[in-house]
Amino acid sequence: MIKIKQFNYEPGEHESETASSSYLMSLIAIIVGLPFPIVNLIATLIFYLGNRKSTYFVRWHCTQALLSQLSMLFINSYGFWWTVSIIFKDETITSNYISYIAVVIIFNLTELITTIYTAIQTRKGIHVEWWFYGTLTNFICKSKS
Amino acid sequence: MKKIIIQGTIIILLFFGSWLAIAQIDLVKVFKVQKVTDNTEQKLGELFWNIFKATENENKSIHVVNSIESIVTQICKSNEIDREIIKIHVLNKDEINAFALPNGHLIVYSGLILNSDNQEELIGVICHEIAHIELNHVMKKLVKEVGLSILISMTTGNGGSEIIKETVKTLSSSVFDRILEKEADIKAVDYLVSAKVNPEPFANFLYKLSNKEHDATEYLSWISTHPDSKERAEYIIEYSKNKSTDYEQILSTEAWGKLKMELNNDRKTND
Repeated sequence: MIKIKQFNYEPGEHESETASSSYLMSLIAIIVGLPFPIVNLIATLIFYLGNRKSTYFVRWHCTQALLSQLSMLFINSYGFWWTVSIIFKDETITSNYISYIAVVIIFNLTELITTIYTAIQTRKGIHVEWWFYGTLTNFICKSKS
Repeated sequence: MKKIIIQGTIIILLFFGSWLAIAQIDLVKVFKVQKVTDNTEQKLGELFWNIFKATENENKSIHVVNSIESIVTQICKSNEIDREIIKIHVLNKDEINAFALPNGHLIVYSGLILNSDNQEELIGVICHEIAHIELNHVMKKLVKEVGLSILISMTTGNGGSEIIKETVKTLSSSVFDRILEKEADIKAVDYLVSAKVNPEPFANFLYKLSNKEHDATEYLSWISTHPDSKERAEYIIEYSKNKSTDYEQILSTEAWGKLKMELNNDRKTND
């Protein structure tokens, strides 16, 4: 799922710190973001926008963090509104609902662990590419040189 | 690009695949969701009914109880409803009101029976309340207005008496939301038609009370808690059009007359 790869160049101390922060941003936002899934995305988006003119290493990791948050937004929002409609509307708890929430929890946990791991590695200047998200980031985020 | 599409598709398939696979297990049963809900409902039903039993005067006259029981039995039989679920109680009170408590307790005030011009009007209101029970509206409303955690704490004896009092008030006096009311009205018409009871008097009852032509307006709890009565009467009439016209009476004219007479006598005695 996660691959450590050689980046185009050796990132500097400051770059590693900022790149690592892009993942930390989404972690911190989880605290607020649990009831409101959009908060996670907004936090990473703001960080992404603030760093889009930064160096390639920083941009690359900001993009990977943002993309992962974007896909989590859809599945988390659906789960969130489903729960709201059970509490406040006529929906009842079904096996479909419980299994959806179970899968959402598994996906969120995987993402959480991966994010923590990546934040630690990027802080050390190690380039970590996620399965699918890494490929997608390589496609979107190109080196200016 | 091809790699991204393949990997993306695998992730999506993985998500939906695991969702569908887990959904094959009867998780509602595994987590005992139904059992917890049923137990809570049963305990709440007992709790609320005991409060009414202690504070109000229950009519235990054999004829009154038998008449109302036979109405409910007939409706249940014609609509394949488990008769055991509905526990009917008649309370001596002038208010024109009937309402459902959790776990199938159905309370009818004597004021409603006395102010019904014919048995079809009363049966219509009873059918409407049975529909609320059958469609699980009572628990839905309680969970929405009081919250499941408070309801569960009530069943374990930890609910404050103030909260319980407020909840009892909510059950007897406040309205279900519009969609639930309409659902119960339509279901009531179905019940009435299956039991060969003319649904038109039920609509007339709503019209009559909403026009406030009735002399008992100050006791019109059922109507004041069920707004838009005219609109409701209209869609009941509309829905019951083209239904069976071969209507019958559940209670004989004598039994209906005797029922009202007994309740009237009880009322005079109480006064």
